[in-house]
Amino acid sequence: MPDSDVLVVGAGPAGSVAAWEAKRAAPELDVVLLERDPTVGIPVRCAEGVGDAGLREFVDPDGAPWVARRITRIIFVAPDDTEVRVADGTVAWILDRTRFDSFLAERARAVGVEVRVATEAAGMERDGDGRWRVRVRGPRGEEVWRARVVIGADGVEAMVGRWAGLDTRVPARDMESCAQYVLQNVDFDPDAIYLQFGDRIAPGGYAWLFPKGVAIANVGLGIVALRADGRNAREYLDAWIARRYPGGTTVGSTVGGVIVNPTIKQTYGDGVMVAGDAAHMVNPLSGAGIVNAMKAGRLGGRTAAAAIREGDTSARRLSSYHRAWMDLLGEEHRTHYRIKQALDELDDGFFNGLARTANRIPERKRSLGRIFAHALVRHPQLIPVAARCFV
Amino acid sequence: MTPLISAAKVGRMPHPRASEVARVALELCDRCGLCLPLCPPEAIHLEFDELLIDQQTCTGCRKCIAPCPVGALAMVPA
Repeated sequence: MPDSDVLVVGAGPAGSVAAWEAKRAAPELDVVLLERDPTVGIPVRCAEGVGDAGLREFVDPDGAPWVARRITRIIFVAPDDTEVRVADGTVAWILDRTRFDSFLAERARAVGVEVRVATEAAGMERDGDGRWRVRVRGPRGEEVWRARVVIGADGVEAMVGRWAGLDTRVPARDMESCAQYVLQNVDFDPDAIYLQFGDRIAPGGYAWLFPKGVAIANVGLGIVALRADGRNAREYLDAWIARRYPGGTTVGSTVGGVIVNPTIKQTYGDGVMVAGDAAHMVNPLSGAGIVNAMKAGRLGGRTAAAAIREGDTSARRLSSYHRAWMDLLGEEHRTHYRIKQALDELDDGFFNGLARTANRIPERKRSLGRIFAHALVRHPQLIPVAARCFV
Repeated sequence: MTPLISAAKVGRMPHPRASEVARVALELCDRCGLCLPLCPPEAIHLEFDELLIDQQTCTGCRKCIAPCPVGALAMVPA
């Protein structure tokens, strides 16, 4: 039976960073990274946008081959199509996730992590001496791997957490159903991301355009099905594109779920931790998850390495991972979740009015903070939203 | 919590009252995995490229149906 110290399930940003950090922190450990798909980074189930500051904690995007586009503007689009350009000095990046994920996995491999693709975890049980036995299926057939610590970075489906007895289920109101096309031959500002809100456009979520280059972009949306009119996410997207980008050519398509529920109550157990989408670590307000996943992977990988060195991989020892995550971002996500709930109560008329208020601020002074401050005075509906920031 | 309730919660017990169960149209399904965490009894699994719904565990609650981004899930008589 093959043995490992740290077995990471899923080679997305959370898993590859977790494996890399564990191996770097304790090079004597055997760290194995499993990926179900034959190629790391394929398929892409992501709008591929990421904030500059968070990304730079891990990698340098300047001139990197896994960057598709540098972004310097956000354009919010009200339900009635009023555009609000926000020149916030904000810089974001649109990644090429196929290249980015494969870069992260290769970086883990380069420090000695054993990466196995086309290999899926099929179940796991605790054995008598306090290790996990993970059933694995891959090109070599079925195997059982022993592991001191398993890190579940297996995305929305979150099977590792389920096998470990953690509650990774999601209430329907907190599941964004997303659809996205890669569209070519569309007209937009290639330095800006576009976000449009509206009950008829993307109920409970928003629609986006994220440039991947000049005239090519990820165009998608997320909806909460409970608030929808019976159409599914792809039908909403087809309607949005027909209205806004009718001349576009579809060169790719994807769908997926974004969990906008705060972090699960317990992200660890005896010899196990879960990270990234699997632990509901997406920002519930923005739906952003890449950097969060990497931050959780870093905490998880380091915690695993330290715990194994100390000879204690109990739930009690690994609970430090959960606490560190909650201090870093988990608590903030609870606040963002409450803000999202308050915003969900506001209707299209409110957002149309908010856009006009924002556009009265001169463009070079139009930051998100200033928009909010101005809006608070003119739109008392925002007071409950503001209050959620401090509760 | 009694062991009985706990077993029902994690979906190990067949649900005797379901008159309808969820079924996936594999030709539409994109294997995105969105429906897995929505399923209260955890009846849905993804194995490599195939979505599986355990018809014995499905309680017919319909929570997976509308959220599917491509409409690949539907209720059928149990």
